Amino acid sequence: MAKPLTRPHPRTRAGASARKADYGYVAFLLPGIVLFLAVIVVPLLMNIGISFTRWSGVGTPEWIGFDNYDRLLHDTNFWISFRNISFIILAMAVLPTLLGLFLAAVLFDYVAKRIGPRTASVFRSGLYLPQVLPVAVTGIVWGWILHPSYGALNSILDRVGLGALAQNWLGDPAYALLSVMAVMVWFQLGYPVVMFMAGLQRVDPELYEAADLDGAGWFQRFTRIAVHQIRPEIYVVLVTTTIAALKIFGQIFVLTRGGPGNATLVPSYFAYQNFFEKADAGYGSAIATVLTAIIVVLTYLFLRIQTRDERLEGS
Amino acid sequence: MFRQQRTSTRTLIAAVLTATALTLSACGADSDDSGDGSTLRLWHYEGANSAMGIAWAEAIKQFEASHPGVTVVYEEKGFEQIRQNAGMILNSDQGPDILEYNKGNATAGLLSKQGLLTDLSDVVAERGWDEMISPSVATTCRYDANGVMGGDTWYGIPNYGEFVMVYYNKDMFAEYDLSVPTTFAEFEGVLDTFVDNGVTPISVGGAEYPAQQILYELALTQADRSFVDDFQLYANPVDFHGPEFSYAATTFAEWVDKGYIGADSAGIKAEDMGVAFTQGSFPIMISGSWWYGRMSDEITDFEWGTFLFPGSDLHPGSGGNIWVVPSNAKNKDLAYDFIDITMQPDIQNLLGESGGVPLAADPAAITNPKAKELIENFNTLNDSDGLAFYPDWPAPGYYDVLVAGVQQLINGSKSPDEVLDEIAKPYNDNLASIGE
Amino acid sequence: MVAATTARRGRPGRLTASTVLIGLTVLTLLVLAPFLVVALNAVKAPAEYAANGPLSLPGELYLRGIVDFWFRVDFGQKLWNSFLISATVAVGAVVISVLNAYAIGIGRMRGRLAFLMFFLLANLLPQEALVYPLYYLSKQVGLYNSRIAVIIIFTAIQAAFGTYLLSSVFRDFPRQLLEAAAMDGAGKWRVLWKVVVPTSWPTLSVLFTFFFIWTWNEFFLPLIFLISNDKQTVPVALGVLQGDRMMDATTTSASALLGIVPAVLFFLIFQRTLTRGVLAGAVK
Repeated sequence: MAKPLTRPHPRTRAGASARKADYGYVAFLLPGIVLFLAVIVVPLLMNIGISFTRWSGVGTPEWIGFDNYDRLLHDTNFWISFRNISFIILAMAVLPTLLGLFLAAVLFDYVAKRIGPRTASVFRSGLYLPQVLPVAVTGIVWGWILHPSYGALNSILDRVGLGALAQNWLGDPAYALLSVMAVMVWFQLGYPVVMFMAGLQRVDPELYEAADLDGAGWFQRFTRIAVHQIRPEIYVVLVTTTIAALKIFGQIFVLTRGGPGNATLVPSYFAYQNFFEKADAGYGSAIATVLTAIIVVLTYLFLRIQTRDERLEGS
Repeated sequence: MFRQQRTSTRTLIAAVLTATALTLSACGADSDDSGDGSTLRLWHYEGANSAMGIAWAEAIKQFEASHPGVTVVYEEKGFEQIRQNAGMILNSDQGPDILEYNKGNATAGLLSKQGLLTDLSDVVAERGWDEMISPSVATTCRYDANGVMGGDTWYGIPNYGEFVMVYYNKDMFAEYDLSVPTTFAEFEGVLDTFVDNGVTPISVGGAEYPAQQILYELALTQADRSFVDDFQLYANPVDFHGPEFSYAATTFAEWVDKGYIGADSAGIKAEDMGVAFTQGSFPIMISGSWWYGRMSDEITDFEWGTFLFPGSDLHPGSGGNIWVVPSNAKNKDLAYDFIDITMQPDIQNLLGESGGVPLAADPAAITNPKAKELIENFNTLNDSDGLAFYPDWPAPGYYDVLVAGVQQLINGSKSPDEVLDEIAKPYNDNLASIGE
Repeated sequence: MVAATTARRGRPGRLTASTVLIGLTVLTLLVLAPFLVVALNAVKAPAEYAANGPLSLPGELYLRGIVDFWFRVDFGQKLWNSFLISATVAVGAVVISVLNAYAIGIGRMRGRLAFLMFFLLANLLPQEALVYPLYYLSKQVGLYNSRIAVIIIFTAIQAAFGTYLLSSVFRDFPRQLLEAAAMDGAGKWRVLWKVVVPTSWPTLSVLFTFFFIWTWNEFFLPLIFLISNDKQTVPVALGVLQGDRMMDATTTSASALLGIVPAVLFFLIFQRTLTRGVLAGAVK
C-alpha cells in the first residue's frame, strides 16, 4: 500500500469545493447521529440527572443536589474500586496487547509463511475462543479450576511437587485480584491477535522484501515495518481494551462478586450493587457518571495523541 | 477487481435486505393479554423437579380443570432476572398476574412500599388463609408502609417453609462412635473428635450465604425472640457488640482456629459445599431444607440424617417464597383462585411428599419417611415460634456485607470486633434511612 | 497475500519451526482447557459429578442433561432470538460504522475528533448507567420487552467501536483510488460503495464477526429488556438455572455447552470468510 504522493492541501484546492466536500459528508453522519442521540446521549443526560437525586428506581426522584457525589468522595469502597481497576487495566490492556502483538507477528509472519495459513488460522481461532464463551460459563469453569481443594491448578501444583504454592486463589484477598487478572489475560488475548493479524494483511509485502534486501533481521522487520504499519490497529486495541477494563463487570460478577471483602471490587460492580441490590439508583448513577467521565477524558487524550501521531505521519 | 467489487456489493445488499427482513419479523406483534379473564399469567422460578415445581404443576392442572375456558400461561423465569428487575417489570404492563417472589424487606417489602403489589388483606380474610399460616410465617407475608415485614398489610402468601439444620453423615459418625449431639457442648465435642482424627468436620460455603447462616445460628444460641424482633423488625436498636453477636463472632473465629471450619473455605461456593458433603468429604454441613430433596436423590454411598442445631430454640428459617399479585395485574381474581388451590391439603401433601416443607400438610398423610422427618422438624420449629429469618434480610445489600465480614473471620484478616464494627455500619445506616 | 516467495537464507528451519509449533500448541491448549472442562461435565450424570467432582472423566455419555435443558427452556427458540438479534445488529452496526467512518476518515471533515468522541461515547458508557433511562424511554414508546429495543441499543453500542476502528483504518485509505474514481465522475455515494467498501472488505468482515459474537454474548441488557420467555436470548436462558440457592453443575455445563457451540460454529464459519476475503482483497 503506497503512501499518497501528494497530500491534498485544502488551501491549494479551490476553496469553495473544499468546503463543499466538507458539508457533503455530513449527510453520511445523519443516521448515526440520530441513533446515538436517542440511545446514548439522552439516556446519559438522564443518568447524570438521576445522580443528583435520591431514588429507588420506582416513583418520583427527590432532588438532593451534590449529596451523592459528596458521599462518593468519602467512600473508601469507591477509591478501592479504582485502585483495583488499574490492575485490571494492566491485565486486560497492556499485557494482551504486548503478547498479542508478538503472537500475531509469529503467527502471521512465521507460521503462515512457513507452515501454512490454515495452521495459523487454527491457532488464531483457538486463542480467540475465550472471547466467544458466555461470561457465566467463564465463571463456573474458572471457579472449578481455581478451587482450593479439588481445583485443577492446585492439583497440578501438587503433583509436580510444588504443592506449597497452592493457594485459595479466589477466596484469599491477597490472591483474588491476581487470579482475576490472570483470567482476564486468558480472556482478552485472542482479540489483539485477531485484530493485529487482520492489520498485518494490509502491509505491502514489497516493504518486507525491500527490508530483506537491506539485510534486516526478523525483529527489525517486525518493529520497523509491521508495528509501524498497523499503528491504527494498535491504537484501537489499546483504547478499546482499556475502556473494556475500566467498564469490566461480567467477569467480576461471576468470579468473585467483588470479593473477598472488596479485594476485587470494581466501579461498575459497585454501581450495580447500588442500582439493583440497594435500590439506591441516585448513588449508583453518581458512580456511573464519575466512571463515564474518567473514561471519556482518558479516551479523548488517547485520541488526541493518535490524531496528532497520524498527522505527523502524513507530513 | 471489478468482479470482486460487484460480488461484495451484492453481498452487502443481500445482508442489508436480510437484516431488514429479520428486523421486521422481530417487530412481531405481542400476543396481547387483556383482563377478560381468559388467561392467567403465572411466573415462578422453581425447577420442574423440585418439590414446589411438582406441586405447582399439579395446582395448574387443577386450576384449569376447575376454570374451563381459562388457560394458564406459565413462564419459568430465572431467579436472577426476577430478583434484579422485579421493580422494572412490575412497573410496566409486561408483568404477570401472579408470581413467586422472595420474602423480606429488601425484596417484597421494597416492592410493596413502591406500590407495585396488591394489598391482599381483604382476600386473605375472605378466604381464610390467615388461619392456615402461623404467626412466624405470617411475618414475612405482611409489610408496613415502610416496607418492613411484620406489618399489618398482607402482600403475599407462601406455600412452604424453610429452615436451617445440621446435615450429618451417619457412616462417618459411626466410624468415630459419635451419636447425635443434643447440647452445644456435645456438639463441640463431636467436632473435636473429628479434628483430632484429622477430619475437618464442617463443609462451609464462605463465598456465599452458608457461612453467615452459621454465624447467625451461633448468635441465636444466645438470643431470644426479642433479639430477633430487634434485629429483623427494628423493634429496638441492636448492639452489635452485645452478647449475641460478640459470642457469634468470637466463637466463629474460634471454630476456625480449632479447625472445625476449614481456613480455605472463604472461596467455596454453596454449590461446592453441598457437593463436598455428598461426596463424603465432610461429615457435617449446616445449611437449609432446600438441600433436602437433592441430598435424597444424590447421596447413594452413605447413610445420612439431620438434626436441629443444638443449644438453641431459634434457627434461621422462615416461610418460603410468596405468591404476590402485581398492582398492574389484569386478572386478579383468577390469581386468588390459584393461590387458594395451592393451599388445599392435597397440594400441600404433594409438596411434602416431594421433599418440600409444606405449611399446612398433615404429617400423618406423608408416606416418605425422610420427608416426614423433615416436616416434623419444621413443625416443631414453627409451633414454638422458632423461625428467626435470615441474617442478610435487615438491609438491602446486606448479604454482600455479611459475606465479606465472615470471609474476613475465616481468613483471620480481621478480628471479631473489627468485623462486628464492619457489619454494624450498613445495618445502622439503613435503619436511619427507613421511612424516608 | 501470496505465500512465501522470499527465500529464507538457509537458517535453521526445522528445529525452530517445531519449537514454535509446540509452543503455540501448548499455549492454545491451555487457552482451550476451560472449554474441555465444560464439555466434560455437560455429558456427565449428576450422580457422577456429586461423587467424583468436576474434573473427573464421565463413566458414560449422559446426554439427558442436554436434551432436558433444551426442552425446558425451548432452546431452539432462544437460538433463533439470539441469531435474529445478533445478525441484525451486526449488519446494522457495520452499515452505520461505514457511513460514519467514511465521513470521518475519508471525508476528513472538520471537527472529526468531536464526532469521533460523540460516537465512541456509546462504547464508553458503563451499561448500568443506561439501564434506567433506556427502560423509561422504551416504556414510553411501547418497546419495553421487545427484541427491537435490544437491536436498536446494541446497534448503537457496536457501531461506536466500528466507527472508531474504521475511521482509523480509512485515514490510511489509498488516496489515488479515490481520486481515480472521482475523476471518473463518481459522486461520494458511489465512491463509497464501489471503491471503499470492496477494498476494506477484510476489515468489514472482522467487524461483522466481532459484532455478531459480542452481541450474542450480551447478558445484562437483554436480561433487563427481554422479559417474555419467547423473546429471550441464549445467555439469558442460561441464567434460568441460577436458582436462588442451588446450582446444578452438570445441567449448567450442559446449558453452557449449548451456549458455546453456536457461537463457536459461527466463528469458525466467519473465519473462512475472513481468510477468503483477505486473499481476494489485497490491494495492488
